[in-house]
Amino acid sequence: MAWRIGIDSGGTFTDVCLFDDTTGDVSVWKVPSTPDDPSRAIAKGTQEGTQRVGAEPSEVAYFGHGTTVGTNALIQHRGVKTGLITTEGFRDLIEIGRQKRPDLYDLQVDKAPPLVTRDLRFGVSERLRHDGSVEIALDEDGVRSAARALKAAGVKAVAIGFLYGFVNPAHEQAAKRIVLEEFPEAFVCASHEVAPEFREYERISTAAVNSYLGPVMHNYIRRLADRLKELGLTTTPHLTQSNGGVIGFDMAARLPVRTVLSGPSTGVVAAQAIGAMTGIANLITFDMGGTSSDVALLRNGEAKLASEATVHGYPIKAPMLDIHTVGAGGGSLAAIDSGGLLKVGPRSAGADPGPVCYGRGSTEPAVTDANVVLQTLNPTHLLGGRMPIRQDLSKEAIGRLAGTIGLDVMATAQGIISVVTANMAKAIRVISVQRGHDPRDYALVAFGGAGPLHAARLAKELEMKRIVVPRNPGIGCALGLLLTDLRANFATTRLATLGEGLVGDMAEIFSGLEEQAEHWFAEEKVAPADRKLRRTADLRYHGQNYELSIDVPEGQITSATIAALGQGFAEAHKRLYGFVAEGEAVQLVTYRAEAIGFVPKAQFRPQPDAGPDASGAITGRREVWFPEAGGFVDTPIYDREKLKCGNRFSGPAIVEQMDATTVVLPGMVATVEPYLNLILEMP
Amino acid sequence: MTINATVTVDPITVEVIGSSFASITEEMGEALVRASYSTNIKERRDCSTALFDIEGNTLCQAEHIPMHLGSFIGIIPHILKRHPVAEMKPGDVFIGNDAYEGGGTHLPDIVLAEPIFHDGVMVSWAVNTAHHADFADRGHAHIYQEGLRIPPIRLYDGGVLMKDVQEVILLNCQVPRERLSDLRAQMAANRLGVERVRALCDKYGRATVLSAGRALQDYAERKMRAGIASIPDGIYRFTDYFDNPEIDEPLEFSVEITVAGEEMKLAFESPPQARAGFNMVYTALLSTVYYAVKTVADPTIPPNAGLARPLTVTAREGTVLNCKHPAAVNGRIAPCQRVVDLIHGALAQAVPERVIAACSGVVATATFAGEMPGSGQLWVYLETIGGGSGARATKDGLDGVHVHMTNTSNLPVEALEVEYPLTLLRYELIDNSGGRGRQRGGMGLRRVYRAEAHCRLNLDNSRLKSRPWGIAGGESGQGAAFVFSEGVGPFVNGDGALEPGQIVEIITPGAGGYGPFAERDPEALARDIAEGRMAAV
Repeated sequence: MAWRIGIDSGGTFTDVCLFDDTTGDVSVWKVPSTPDDPSRAIAKGTQEGTQRVGAEPSEVAYFGHGTTVGTNALIQHRGVKTGLITTEGFRDLIEIGRQKRPDLYDLQVDKAPPLVTRDLRFGVSERLRHDGSVEIALDEDGVRSAARALKAAGVKAVAIGFLYGFVNPAHEQAAKRIVLEEFPEAFVCASHEVAPEFREYERISTAAVNSYLGPVMHNYIRRLADRLKELGLTTTPHLTQSNGGVIGFDMAARLPVRTVLSGPSTGVVAAQAIGAMTGIANLITFDMGGTSSDVALLRNGEAKLASEATVHGYPIKAPMLDIHTVGAGGGSLAAIDSGGLLKVGPRSAGADPGPVCYGRGSTEPAVTDANVVLQTLNPTHLLGGRMPIRQDLSKEAIGRLAGTIGLDVMATAQGIISVVTANMAKAIRVISVQRGHDPRDYALVAFGGAGPLHAARLAKELEMKRIVVPRNPGIGCALGLLLTDLRANFATTRLATLGEGLVGDMAEIFSGLEEQAEHWFAEEKVAPADRKLRRTADLRYHGQNYELSIDVPEGQITSATIAALGQGFAEAHKRLYGFVAEGEAVQLVTYRAEAIGFVPKAQFRPQPDAGPDASGAITGRREVWFPEAGGFVDTPIYDREKLKCGNRFSGPAIVEQMDATTVVLPGMVATVEPYLNLILEMP
Repeated sequence: MTINATVTVDPITVEVIGSSFASITEEMGEALVRASYSTNIKERRDCSTALFDIEGNTLCQAEHIPMHLGSFIGIIPHILKRHPVAEMKPGDVFIGNDAYEGGGTHLPDIVLAEPIFHDGVMVSWAVNTAHHADFADRGHAHIYQEGLRIPPIRLYDGGVLMKDVQEVILLNCQVPRERLSDLRAQMAANRLGVERVRALCDKYGRATVLSAGRALQDYAERKMRAGIASIPDGIYRFTDYFDNPEIDEPLEFSVEITVAGEEMKLAFESPPQARAGFNMVYTALLSTVYYAVKTVADPTIPPNAGLARPLTVTAREGTVLNCKHPAAVNGRIAPCQRVVDLIHGALAQAVPERVIAACSGVVATATFAGEMPGSGQLWVYLETIGGGSGARATKDGLDGVHVHMTNTSNLPVEALEVEYPLTLLRYELIDNSGGRGRQRGGMGLRRVYRAEAHCRLNLDNSRLKSRPWGIAGGESGQGAAFVFSEGVGPFVNGDGALEPGQIVEIITPGAGGYGPFAERDPEALARDIAEGRMAAV
């Protein structure tokens, strides 16, 4: 027996997804998150989850994990106190950035505060020229005294970034050595290690983000690794990167900057798989958790991958999926603002104390409380009975809010849902309408604990015709982890003119990258048959500063390879910009190798059609508030576990399962497709 | 069908089409930047893109450089004046830059405009402008010294390149290879715009797209009217001074703003136009007013022609702020910045919480030109340097950013030194440069260059003799300055030369503070002092 485990640790719940390699069955477990140290909940979830399916920890063949530890630290500015050592005269560069103001017309918008305050930024005398030659040697004493000053100031991490550090890393390496001599306990990161590419601001910013998050991630990963070892897990744990692929814990601890979108990126991978399963290629993912919601757009089954993005105001040079996050979820708190308007979020009840209905002392109503009052959520218990719910407390809390705005309790509860729905619609417009895509051409994939609960109203707001609710929506991200390949990127930047003479150098550089990839494959224990290496070269016309990535044909590098690259570049350039600059030199900038280690993935099997009659899945009825139907409506409750392929029913209806509740609005039709995904369609 | 057929379009479709216009212009801008060769476009992003309706009204301008709107609103009327619509066909591309006959605001901003046809019917225009860093070291006594004047003429006729036209243009440029490639990048941008608008018409129908375009302009007008209505009625006046390396005595600029209900009138006074590069054509004044009023009335108004409807802008012809042929105009953005300060200064009397203290008030510009050691090829490098942004009613000003009419990027050191025989020695915020106040003004920037080969240099700056003012008792920011290493010859009208090893230090102004310094939060003050942003009191 071999088990594969995917764990997504969110702000409110930690989701465990267990896949039995032998039977192909998927089991799900969920425990409350422990935000002060997320590894506690992960360990608990792993232990309980494996026990529940009767698996031994030693039988776990794969452990994959998506985390929001990095991104949360960045949003909430809870990284460590960080210092910067840079070229004399340029210490303000990470603050000036590209000297652009953040908004063209709104004069009240602020820039993101620099991650290193000005008093902790030290310029030291040194200077490289653009060819990597040394104009001014590194002032090693200057580095040493900066390191001492930073240590005395109590920093935990030090970023090092010199001009041209990507061409010649000698000064950065020497500075790192000196800092570690003076300050061995510091997390130290040099810019050439994280982003060996030109444009000093973006590169040094990436090093600063990496340093700022370094100790946070490092401690987190160490604690988690220890706990997993204690449980008896023998497999090497993995973490998802922002590009949707996974890497080992060691690499993740060195390069936290690659994992800032770790959590949400797995959801996109899961949605991709669901799209392939259901044959719906154009999807908008809607992952609503307890504290935040992530949305992404998949066109023809593909999400956009950027090699660089600005995350919460900080440029990061690392491959990442185009995901938009808003601070609104089931735990978001409702309040009346100074202008007398009802606002929801961004403050959240979190996992502890949680919404008022958890009965753990919170008195401020959250979105979840509104759903409990409306009885769209089960008013007595959640999590399949494991968590008792105090509807009376929710009613009291919302009643207090209702009093201040002069509405009744039900109208106020419904108002909270309307406000949160509008917030979500805005988020979806950012990734669809604002990028020129009409949401009406897309299906909404609803997951996360609260996604299916709000999807129907959201789709209605955006006039989207179809909603897909996965079989296990509450663990979308965790499921994605079981569908993700191992992935690592290797790159070397070396400027050269594309031509016959480049064959030797190109062969040498690619064989160097392949060697690194082989080493990584071995480290990750990827069997030779499961290894795939994709080589690309970034090309541009001499004079341009943006490159096009062109595939390098497989096999030995010969003059035919060079010709193929030249042709591929000309075609791509023509396609993108409409012209080919005949006779102009083409410049090769970066050689890249992407190593993919295929992992056996959860295989889902289509179920036989059981006919449209869904009545067998009805487990009861309750009054649910539907204002469009005039108030409380006696509504059938379906058990998701009992719904079979081909079953069909109309709203109003509620579908309950362990980790999620789906609302089917009056007039909507729900169908169960062969892979047991629920499809909701508008009339 | 007639293109004026109006259909009623539901609000969601209007919003989707409006957002599509915005994303099309953004995408056009990305293509322009990525395909270009010159540092001023590929790194500094000194370019803008837009879509226009066939009458020449802005449908959407991408959020790049507010100043470029001036070139855009001029070009289509000038094209239409010279070329009958009946003779236009798919694949025609018009080029123009002239401030008096070509719709431009200064000669380096070369505009390419392409009519978009859908099923044989002309529906709109794809337009973009790129600041070609060329025409350097020629003088600014009148526009004939400032470069080649191009009226709106066809660069492409039905998709065929007019090689003769292109050759005349390129021969007048110092760096023809960059010009050619940047023009190709501009073609790429418009081509994308044409394709995307056609696809939009395929999807929604031409009538719907055109009606949505009109609905969006009406919407912008309604938002502008509501924004103006929220400003108390009254007459507000403000006077400020403009200085420049080309003049000895500062010039007095003033404005009288009349707010009456939903409409606003702005009347400007300035001295007669000068034999210098800082005059502004009327379209430059218009784009400046549109920008400044929008920041106060409602920054979320969509960037289309509808927002101009409630505004009336006057300035005497032949004055600095509304010059006529043959005044030189290359440095027009500096007085434009002062015009924004005038408008904010006047409206501070009506809505002090919505305006900000005076910003750096300039776009500090350095234009280097020389011969490349070895190859002897000519090179031109243009850099504009940001400064302090004004303090706000409840927040400090932004440090070291481009303000108001521009928002170009800096050139990374690692790109600069690869391309030109120059070394950047320092690039930093200037301690103590932000005006003190309850809220501190933004800090100015210092950028220090060392020449590695002989080169000519033109320097433009302002607030050399006056300082950016504060609001409500806030103090002024530090002014601008140039510092030269020993032996650098005199600079006349901002023009001079550097020899190898010589150094020039460009200092840009900080910004004004807001409210009395005595009311500064002690914690914020302590932080400023610890970080060296301000000296200890």
